Amino acid sequence: MIKILNLKKQYGERTVLNIPELTVNKGETVVVVGPNGSGKSTLLRILAGILSKTDGEVLADGEIYYMPQQSIPFSKSVKENILFSAKDSKEIEKRCDDILSELSLSHLANKKAKKLSGGECQRLALGRIIINQCDFLLLDEPTSAMDIEGTEIIESVIKKYKQETGCGILMTTHSPKQAKNLADRVIMLHEGQIAEQGSPDELLSNPQTNWGKKFIDMWKIDT
Amino acid sequence: MNMDSELLQIIGVTLRMSFFSTVISCLIGMPLGVLIGKSVFKGKRTIKKLTGTLMGLPPVVAGLIVYMLFTKYGPFGSFGLLFTVEVMVIAQCMLIIPVVINLTESMTEINAKKLIETAKGLNFSKLKTSLLLLSENKQSLLSVVLTAFGRSIAEVGAVSLVGGNIQWKTRVMTTAIMLETNKGNFSFALALGIILLLISFVVNILASALVREDEE
Ligand SMILES: Nc1ncnc2c1ncn2[C@@H]1O[C@H](COP(=O)(O)OP(=O)(O)OP(=O)(O)O)[C@@H](O)[C@H]1O
Ligand SMILES: [Mg+2]
Repeated sequence: MIKILNLKKQYGERTVLNIPELTVNKGETVVVVGPNGSGKSTLLRILAGILSKTDGEVLADGEIYYMPQQSIPFSKSVKENILFSAKDSKEIEKRCDDILSELSLSHLANKKAKKLSGGECQRLALGRIIINQCDFLLLDEPTSAMDIEGTEIIESVIKKYKQETGCGILMTTHSPKQAKNLADRVIMLHEGQIAEQGSPDELLSNPQTNWGKKFIDMWKIDT
Repeated sequence: MNMDSELLQIIGVTLRMSFFSTVISCLIGMPLGVLIGKSVFKGKRTIKKLTGTLMGLPPVVAGLIVYMLFTKYGPFGSFGLLFTVEVMVIAQCMLIIPVVINLTESMTEINAKKLIETAKGLNFSKLKTSLLLLSENKQSLLSVVLTAFGRSIAEVGAVSLVGGNIQWKTRVMTTAIMLETNKGNFSFALALGIILLLISFVVNILASALVREDEE
């Protein structure tokens, strides 16, 4: 599992993240929601080792893969991007072709990745991650650039990958629908702190704090 | 006949000097530039200002410093390098390294952070990440190399001071042009200038062919 204890991140005087305790178990999907600037990306980046923490502890038993909010395509073809990202070369061609077709990128396999559209690029970014076996997956807004169909594709690929590998997933989203669809547990961040947490149904129907109520009311308009 | 072989010899010295100045400056300046560009530390802005200032170092001043270091009774006098191609390369590196550091650093700053984040997320090794960083930036790195080469081949103040413009030894295109101009051989000086431009042109073409991105 990934275990966080008294995690703090400060920029100068300003605390942008303050989490007393958070655990992500293997086989569990935890979805982090919250408005812009609430600290979602900061949390994932610290877990991925991109950012240093100001204080606290992060423990993880297993390999973590992380897909940033803006994943950069390499100057290679779509297929080469995936092959280049694979650690293990066993049956690599077949695995790669399967992933391309799951993400409906097969027809773009030989296209230069730099020329993909935003949504295609994001699907490729997920493909580069899931060519690998991992224990934990950190996904920062994996469907932010997606249309409805693309969102469905990504969600089903994430579900399938979790089923096959039994990995734990910590991801962020701005979509209530996605949180409902994927989450075992939802964490609501507000100014770097956990304002609410619970199962998607619990949280959506019965928020505990005033701020949580307001946030969820806005969400309900959206669904 | 003699004229032709002297011309070829001058071109040879010029290319040899520019090649080594460029290669050494890039080998030293690029890693430093990447290092400064991708890390965060106090005094980074000061370093930027310093390399920026050194970019404007007048060549004759660089020449003067190197001259004083390598003159017979200077600290490095015992090497006996004054008026050799080697010392010309040293003087040029003083001029070019700050340029390479500065350009590489700006380029890294814009480009590298997100790429490194992506690579780290995929658990690439340090080596794989560094190679990726180089290959993803080959266009801009190439323009750094070409800028270094351009500065080296066109430079006259430092090389004439420390090289001495000695016939058959340290005379390069630029110092030859100076000499011919002083002698009043304008058309010959101009011809040399055109050859110099041609060399630059060919080098640029070869270099960009080397890293051409195929379109698709
Ligand atoms: N390098 C930095 N220096 C100062 N403040 C920063 C820095 N990076 C991020 N922040 C601040 O930290 C806070 C949290 O940012 P973060 O990117 O984690 O938000 P987020 O929840 O991911 O938002 P979004 O939904 O827009 O992606 C923001 O207020 C941001 O301005
Ligand atoms: Mg974010």
